[in-house]
Amino acid sequence: MQPADRRDRRFHRFVVMGWMLVWVVCAAAVTVDSAAAQGQPAAAQATAEDNNPRANFWRAIRRGVEGYSAVQGQETNVLIQGSGENWRMARERLLVPIVSGLLGAVLVIILLYHILHGRIPLEGGRSGRRVRRFSLNQQLVHWFAAILFVLLGLTGIVLLLGRSVLIPLMGKDAFAVSASLSKEVHNLFGPIFILAVLLMLFSYIRGNGFSRIDWLWLKRAGGLFGKGHVAAGKYNMGQKLWFWSVVLIGTVLCGSGLVLDFAVVGQERWIMQLAQISHVVGAVVLMVAGIGHAYIGSVGMEGALEAMTQGEVDANWAKEHHSLWYEQIEAGEGNPAEGTKAPQAGSAPAAGAATSGR
Amino acid sequence: MTFLEFTEGPMWRFAAFVFLLGVFWHLAHWLMRRHPKDLSKPLGSGFAGAVGTLFRHFLPSPHFLSRNWLVTFAGYAFHLGLFALVLFFGPHIEFIQTHITGFGWEPMPYWGFIVACQLAFAGLLILWLKRVLDPVLRLISDSGDQVGTLLTFIVMLTGCMALMQSYDFLRALHMLTVNLWLIYFPFSRLMHAFTWVLSRAETGAVYGRRGSSL
Amino acid sequence: MSARNTIDRLMERTNPAIASYLDACVHCGLCAAACHFYETSGDPRHTPAYKLKPLEKAYKRHKAPFSNLRKAFGLAPPEVSDGELREWQELIYDTCTMCGRCTLACPMGIDIAGTIGVMRTAMFEGGFTPSDLVEQAQRAKDVGSPLGVTPELLAERLEWIADEFETEVPLDKTGAEVMLTASSIEVMKYTESIGSMAKIFNHAGVNWTFSSKGYEATNFGVLSGNGDVNRTMVTRLVDAAEELQVKLVVIPECGHALGALRWTGPNVIGRELPFEVLHISEYLAKLKRDGRLKLKSYGKPMTYHDPCQVSRRGGATKAARELLNGFAQDFRESKHAGTANWCCGGGGGVISISDPKTVDGRLKAFKIKMDQVDDTEADVVVSACSNCRLALDDGAKHYAWGREITNLAEVVAEQLEE
Repeated sequence: MQPADRRDRRFHRFVVMGWMLVWVVCAAAVTVDSAAAQGQPAAAQATAEDNNPRANFWRAIRRGVEGYSAVQGQETNVLIQGSGENWRMARERLLVPIVSGLLGAVLVIILLYHILHGRIPLEGGRSGRRVRRFSLNQQLVHWFAAILFVLLGLTGIVLLLGRSVLIPLMGKDAFAVSASLSKEVHNLFGPIFILAVLLMLFSYIRGNGFSRIDWLWLKRAGGLFGKGHVAAGKYNMGQKLWFWSVVLIGTVLCGSGLVLDFAVVGQERWIMQLAQISHVVGAVVLMVAGIGHAYIGSVGMEGALEAMTQGEVDANWAKEHHSLWYEQIEAGEGNPAEGTKAPQAGSAPAAGAATSGR
Repeated sequence: MTFLEFTEGPMWRFAAFVFLLGVFWHLAHWLMRRHPKDLSKPLGSGFAGAVGTLFRHFLPSPHFLSRNWLVTFAGYAFHLGLFALVLFFGPHIEFIQTHITGFGWEPMPYWGFIVACQLAFAGLLILWLKRVLDPVLRLISDSGDQVGTLLTFIVMLTGCMALMQSYDFLRALHMLTVNLWLIYFPFSRLMHAFTWVLSRAETGAVYGRRGSSL
Repeated sequence: MSARNTIDRLMERTNPAIASYLDACVHCGLCAAACHFYETSGDPRHTPAYKLKPLEKAYKRHKAPFSNLRKAFGLAPPEVSDGELREWQELIYDTCTMCGRCTLACPMGIDIAGTIGVMRTAMFEGGFTPSDLVEQAQRAKDVGSPLGVTPELLAERLEWIADEFETEVPLDKTGAEVMLTASSIEVMKYTESIGSMAKIFNHAGVNWTFSSKGYEATNFGVLSGNGDVNRTMVTRLVDAAEELQVKLVVIPECGHALGALRWTGPNVIGRELPFEVLHISEYLAKLKRDGRLKLKSYGKPMTYHDPCQVSRRGGATKAARELLNGFAQDFRESKHAGTANWCCGGGGGVISISDPKTVDGRLKAFKIKMDQVDDTEADVVVSACSNCRLALDDGAKHYAWGREITNLAEVVAEQLEE
């Protein structure tokens, strides 16, 4: 067996194990407390009547019956929202463990992958010729969104997982401060993220439509399966899926975030709860995928990061990973999906059509 | 003495002192220098030119807007947002009333605060990203630019963290960073908050005398 | 070459204005978009603010508020080196026309062009000036003109011009009220400019003359930074005008010559000028205003290129419009015309530098002016500066550009009603 084949097999084994780990964690979380949400009121019912004649009355309130309240306002006539307990259970028994499990799992998988497989090298080495991949404004928009995302993600994680993870570490007082500051920062930076998502949409939509070669790319998981490189245009399927996730799930995050942040337009409790769940679900999907994206765009692939820090890539990198895009450039068909104009730094002298137009 | 009492007390007084003395010394440096007398016969008024340039440069020149729009809008967003926050945010007015002026004024409504905050942060972030990504700005920037930006951002961030003033520690942290910012201010390019008057007026005066408006 | 001399001179000349500029620059980079060199080269080193770096460093080290404190803590910038100044020569001379457009974009209103002028005097002291400019400045002092036009040659050429253009061209006429000056390039190449000015003055009945003691309007002392030559050229003009007891000295179609005599001249020689100074465009506008010009209207579609030192930095933007409006039937203003007009790329001595790299950069920058004029679809582009004209002609030759290039005085002279 070739060393490359052996490495591939070992890698596949770990990927499979990793996914199994994820599913196990999720399954455990779900099964453990599935009985918790039900049951108690029924068991208590039989003896309740003997001890407390008003038990039925309070049971009805507990289930969310509407009554009269002297205080007029949003849902003030509902003392206890019955389904709220379900939401609380879902948040504590499902979301918290699943999110922590997923985040932990993705970090572990990537770490293992990197240790075993190593960085994806530039097989042809660097050619020294540069190709412009992103305009200055595209770079700016990307890092704007990224920084906001990290800030919101970290503060969001404190808000969701802080109680279980941080209190044991720092104690209740310190956690109270951390949670407070996280909430303020999260709520203030959240609306700016709306701008970031819009800017991402307009800056990157060109080139992110789907075509047949994308499905072929997906079938081979970008080259993970099978031998040799896979053809791709300016953006491969992985990137396209990531772009549309950011835009669509980002929209969900923004929408649910606005519902949660500005609870002054008559939202009822159930809307807030639904918003919270969709916010967390959307966030964890983007965070997991985002960690993968950040990895492959930096440490995981040689020659990738400079695309976003300098706007240019080595011609060999373009040839290897985005062959169809590179061919278009060589054929002089401009620089597809370049987007906005930007002043170009004097690039290394280019033979051929590796260009730095406006 | 608690951390909060320290940062709002002796450290604040020290920082304010350094700030005032530093700004005064910086400006006095310019005032003390003698302006060489201009012996040319003026075609227009230097004073009018100075005032004209002073206010004209508040607005972006339409000739370069198509190239400079991003920095222009982000710059306005940041400066106007920060100005509104510093002077019209309730807790700030209270602080100014207690520690500086003895009188306050009407704070802006909550939604105004939110808008100002978004603008200030978005503007600063975009400007900083432009500074680290654009080859022109990479070349002309130095460590002073980075420190000034970082300090300002940290002041704003700690301010955010201390909202609702629920925790003394966070409030004190914000005050600590404000004090550091005040101490750093006179020795840095943050002084542009005052020097814009001098440079615009100088140019305006020279070209106003020539009958040109720059 | 000595960086020490440059630094000393820089600190000497750092007046309150320059100090305020160096304190005020926030490194925002907005000036880049205003600069024709940066816009066409894309080289970040051509950013106007970057040109001031050595001065900024020296200032922060020696003269800025708290510079001693900085030095004490080891936070002052290192001393500017010979190598740096050699590197900066290209930025201060070859790729800067001191056009001043950057000031319009600067939110702090920094007069970068004026500061570059000061830097040039310091660069000259240190020996960091391009040889072309050094030589022309020295020749101007030794012989009377950067192109070697001696008083004798001047007399010959003026005689020839008088013949060729069939008009009187007085030299050293006593009792004259107006003294006209010339730039050498007009004496030698663009003689139609002098011929035209002569015709117009005679038509308007102006009592004028040239002086063989003070005729050279260009000032390569200003362009190179040679303070001694600067002073000499201004003194010659002032002495000649005083001897003739004229009330007015007219600067010909030249850009920097206006500022060299009217604006910086008095400060260079340390006294006020006892006469008025007008650019030829201003004087022609005055003559028209006073009803002394009988003109046929000019029919060809034309546009005006504002010489930077005449319009933006000289204060004579309106004069050209006063002259052309009503006279030129189809006068089309280009985009950005007036105070914000694009530079032709030839001013500030750049046209005089023969280094192929500099010529290349200048021709590239010229494309902006070409596009600007082409957009107006005018047949003719009129300027009021012979350096601009040289740059326009040179660019037209290089790009096979078909527009007619002419100067203000010519256009007016051609339409004089006999």
